Amino acid sequence: MDNVDIGLFEHDRHNTLYFYLLNSDEQIYMRYGGRDSASPETYLNLASLEVALAKGLELHERYKKGDLAQTPRPAPDFPKNYPMLVERTFARGQCVECHLIGDFQNMHREKDNTLDKLKDLYRSPDIKVLGIHLDVPKGLVVKETKGAAAEAGIQPGDAIKAVNGKTVYTFADLQHQYDKLDRRTSTEVRFTVERGHAPPRELAVKLPARWWYYDARYRQSSVDPRLYFESRPLSEDEKRKHGLAVDGFASEVTRVDSFATMMKSHQLQEGDIVFAVDSVERNPYAHTADVYMKLKQTPGDVVKLSLLRNGQRLESSLTTYRMSFRK
Amino acid sequence: MAKRITYLGLALAAALSLPAVAQDDDTIYWLDNYQEALRQSKKTGKPIFLEYRCEP
Repeated sequence: MDNVDIGLFEHDRHNTLYFYLLNSDEQIYMRYGGRDSASPETYLNLASLEVALAKGLELHERYKKGDLAQTPRPAPDFPKNYPMLVERTFARGQCVECHLIGDFQNMHREKDNTLDKLKDLYRSPDIKVLGIHLDVPKGLVVKETKGAAAEAGIQPGDAIKAVNGKTVYTFADLQHQYDKLDRRTSTEVRFTVERGHAPPRELAVKLPARWWYYDARYRQSSVDPRLYFESRPLSEDEKRKHGLAVDGFASEVTRVDSFATMMKSHQLQEGDIVFAVDSVERNPYAHTADVYMKLKQTPGDVVKLSLLRNGQRLESSLTTYRMSFRK
Repeated sequence: MAKRITYLGLALAAALSLPAVAQDDDTIYWLDNYQEALRQSKKTGKPIFLEYRCEP
């Protein structure tokens, strides 16, 4: 593994399975894999794998005939570039687990102050947020559309052929391209679709607020501060009723993890409304207090919470913790 | 399809294991060395099927 260019095979390392089809010149034809937060198997299917491989073999025949354009190779990257990964795996004679590569990459980014949590913590956004539901055994054929995708004109039966002009053959290809969108500045994503025998058409889907967000806890990420509670965003009416900032991230605690007591992390109770963290009530990317802390805090930070409990304003502290998973 | 792919498959499980080579009996033998997979692909003209896989 230490001599493999992981820059060439750059992907979300929290996939249980991820395949590539390539040639001896290391030209990648396609990827196969991808997942959502619900399951590592949502997009894995033997029928769609067969569809993908058939297309891959077709591309390989074109390559052998010299009829396939070479794609630009990404910047090289090797495991040795991540000393913590080397120290805690190679040097100990331990296996290099996929998720460890991603986790140590993030830990180095955190150390170098280059960690961008919107991108690095929330990798592989869920296309179902756009309203795109695929007919998984058929690859990139759309089964159902809702919301933004439906408004953009994508219809059931459409076959997705490109994302922002980049050809995609599989869901993994699609997710890889979609993941490249800038979380802060992107306003739309363009899908090229084929419908029946009509020429391909490009449809722009408007990105909804927090299109990149999903429950990322399955990642067991070391740079994701553990908070040991969950919350739901308050509606605007609820915020007004409580005299809170309507555009703030005030949220109601819906679950307190038993680890909170064990780790002496905080004393939140279900029903508490957390409306500020270190006196901050608003953030353009956070819709709840816990998402705000996940984005802003480094594991180990201690913050001051402002909250409402039974109508009374209180202040309390919360200590975040760092997950150390199989290292 | 197995015979058409010099299955160079990289399986990154707890590590990176590699390609599998399809034999006449359709048995797939996975390689765990990337450079060897590239060599076999070059020699046979078959594509590489590379797998990154998490092993429990």
